[in-house]
Amino acid sequence: MLDRSPSGALAVALISVTMTMAMTIGRAQAFDEGKYPTTWKGQWVRVVHPEIEIEGAVFQGGFDQTKHWGIEQEAPLTPEYRKVLEDSMKDQAEGGLGNYPNAQCLPSGMPRMMTFGSHEYVITPETTYILLSGSDHLRRIFTDGRDWPQKPQPTYGGYSIGRWIDRDGTGRYNVLLSETRYFKGPRAYDATGLPLAFDNQSIFMERFFMDKDDPDILHDLTTVIDNALTRPWTSDRQFRRVSEKVVQWPETWCQESNANVVIGKENYFLRTDGLLMPTKRNQAAPDLRYFNRLRQ
Amino acid sequence: MLHRSLIGATLLAALAMPAGGARASDDAKYPDWTGQWERFAVRGLGGQPSHDQTKPWGFGQQAPLTPEYQAVLAASIADQANGGLGNFPTTLGRAAGMPNMMMAFGPLELIITPETTYVLIGWHDHYRRIFTDGRDWPAEIEPTYSGYSIGRWIDEGGGGRYDVLQVETRGFKGPRAYDETGLPLHFDNQSIFKERIYRDKADPNILHDEITTIDHALTHPWTVDKRYVHNPDPRPEWREFYTTEDNAQIAVGKENYFLSADGLLMPTKKNQAPPDLRYFKQPRK
Repeated sequence: MLDRSPSGALAVALISVTMTMAMTIGRAQAFDEGKYPTTWKGQWVRVVHPEIEIEGAVFQGGFDQTKHWGIEQEAPLTPEYRKVLEDSMKDQAEGGLGNYPNAQCLPSGMPRMMTFGSHEYVITPETTYILLSGSDHLRRIFTDGRDWPQKPQPTYGGYSIGRWIDRDGTGRYNVLLSETRYFKGPRAYDATGLPLAFDNQSIFMERFFMDKDDPDILHDLTTVIDNALTRPWTSDRQFRRVSEKVVQWPETWCQESNANVVIGKENYFLRTDGLLMPTKRNQAAPDLRYFNRLRQ
Repeated sequence: MLHRSLIGATLLAALAMPAGGARASDDAKYPDWTGQWERFAVRGLGGQPSHDQTKPWGFGQQAPLTPEYQAVLAASIADQANGGLGNFPTTLGRAAGMPNMMMAFGPLELIITPETTYVLIGWHDHYRRIFTDGRDWPAEIEPTYSGYSIGRWIDEGGGGRYDVLQVETRGFKGPRAYDETGLPLHFDNQSIFKERIYRDKADPNILHDEITTIDHALTHPWTVDKRYVHNPDPRPEWREFYTTEDNAQIAVGKENYFLSADGLLMPTKKNQAPPDLRYFKQPRK
């Protein structure tokens, strides 16, 4: 029987309000935790099409995974940047590095940083982190509702702002939209030196989502807007989950055992005996004017 | 005066609490270490950042080195004074590894999940994973510069919430040095690090990483308390740093040279011989 006294009614009301608030907070927190995907865990590597990547060099991935690297990517390059690509490939054929500074162990930046090695997604409400295993460290995709910074520091990885959406209306987010700007360079799409514009004004629009048919495939639908292109270029980059629980993650360091040595505008090679050797026919030796001893 | 109606109301409310309340409390088990953590700088020490933050680098660390490794340190400092790199190949852009990677040259970020705590570094080294999923040591560990870390959360304060992360790290490759003087860890790479990471009870803006190093270059385990200061900016800037960018150090064989501003090789030591160019047909200029 309900106590009709004023104090009793007040006590009931207070308790009810308190319990309701606790329920709301608890429920809200539980609902928040249930909002984010839980199926993006584990180790992801790029999907390799063996019929596409060169036999014996299956690690030379391209931006468009369904096509060979370099010219066969059929990137919608402007005539100016198509020439940059051709010059790069010609230089590489002659022993040079072309437009591919990553050979010196500089970071790849976007988009190539998503191509190689394995990566891991760590999702928090404020940020989705993509931990990489190559020359590049990691990516932060900020999902805390922030606006673009006023004075961004250009980076190879760019500055990424994202937004989760519940595409299927299930009450759980399943697509991460991301936009990335504010780059430094140089950057190339692949190891042939397929170029992004040297003005570093690239913008990347991405949609990350799980494949509906294969729970071990993650899509990173990437559209590049870049002044080296005649139009935006979109590629459905796919990653396969290697394992959800990983015993040991790989650690790779380009600088370890990298035999490329760049002096001035020339690249040379370090032999196993630790001595410099040319990489091109009739390549001149490095200028040693600052050394005051005679060559031995 | 408690009435049955009041008890009834309370019971009804309790029954109506969703199971999500239990999930909320599980998440509340872990501490809040979010944000940016910068190195605690002790002013007036001189030199570059050091392993024991309260003492200067190099000899000033007073590391309990064996005589053999004291000599390695002395030789490293002498070589650096003479223009060489000493025992610090990280200068060439290689990873620093443990424990140098916890120096916080650039700010750190820690992300806590039930299975793993990530320490994002973004400097010479990328990040660490500290596995807290109850796993045992793998039968074989592929050696890495950062090592293999297994951690365990404890509730030291008894408040029902974890407040200390205990970590053990093994499985290294090298070479690694504590600081830029080349203060050496043993070349056998058998280092073990035991850490206690926790927020300062008196000042929550301070995060401690008590690191104990067990290493054959030491006469006894060496413990330091590395501290980090919380940046109050909720949206701090995260810098990107790569040692390979604008790095003028060039190693050819066992010698290190320097790239001058005009892109030509120059010696780093007095009377240093130029690189051997026997494989080039063209005469030296």
